[in-house]
Amino acid sequence: MATSNVSSVSLSLSDRLVAGILALMIGGFLVFGAGLANSAVLHDTAHDTRHSYGFPCH
Amino acid sequence: MIVKTLLAAIVAGLIAGVFMTAAQELRVTPLILHAEEFEGGEQPAAGHEEHSSLNGVSPLEKLLAFVSPITPAYAHEGGHEEESGILFGMSRFSGTLLANLVTGAGFSLLLAGISIMTGHRITLANGALWGACGWLAVHMLPALGLPPELPGFPAADLGERQVWWALTVLLSAAGLYLLALRGELGSKVAGLVLIAAPHAYGAPQPLDISSNVPAVLGAEFAVAALATTLAFWIVLGIVSGFINDRVVKAG
Repeated sequence: MATSNVSSVSLSLSDRLVAGILALMIGGFLVFGAGLANSAVLHDTAHDTRHSYGFPCH
Repeated sequence: MIVKTLLAAIVAGLIAGVFMTAAQELRVTPLILHAEEFEGGEQPAAGHEEHSSLNGVSPLEKLLAFVSPITPAYAHEGGHEEESGILFGMSRFSGTLLANLVTGAGFSLLLAGISIMTGHRITLANGALWGACGWLAVHMLPALGLPPELPGFPAADLGERQVWWALTVLLSAAGLYLLALRGELGSKVAGLVLIAAPHAYGAPQPLDISSNVPAVLGAEFAVAALATTLAFWIVLGIVSGFINDRVVKAG
């Protein structure tokens, strides 16, 4: 760990993995909820967004 | 440091989401509203009843329709059986704004995640290119098979389209990574194959393509949707790069 922390600019390898996986999971969850989730309330709220982003919609 | 990186991505996404809302209100939403006037016109009885509630005879009905957070245009066929409506009883515009903020933060986190995992930083200098690749993967390439649809357009089964769309986005993103960020010739060929594969397979298409929505509206909408999302992604990439350069680096 000591060697990988020499550079203060970039994240260490394990930090990178954690940050990357977290970002992909949260991002995927948000995009799925706004764009694809099959819920009437979510659909109606995000209706215009779904259409203008080209998400497949009703 | 992890939290800071994620927060930077979320902030960039929120800024791009606000920008997208403005662009949508100018170019896209008017076309959606226009198309909804034609939606469901094939069954004049059902469609008429729905819309007649707006210009209803009773003033009470008019008042109710005005106060209700659900505009009649939302009441798509089949939507009546389930509980529907906009979250927290917001107006149509605030619902769109919220959805754009969530979508913006989501796409921004996905972009940051890919950048972190592949070890290629998003900077102010290359942010526009990152954004353009995001647009290609999420909008342009899937639109080859499933062009942005207006309400009332004929379409195949929703589940099938969503699966095809999601797989195409994933394959296009992987293909673009191989094309743009890998040096070997073999990677470039594999990238092209990945990008072409979903189109060779073919997107689910409707059996009957007749529609009440005028074709001119559809053409205008497809161009407006692709243009505004391109602007959204370029703003997202540049803002992400700017924040990365200034904030994350400084920490």
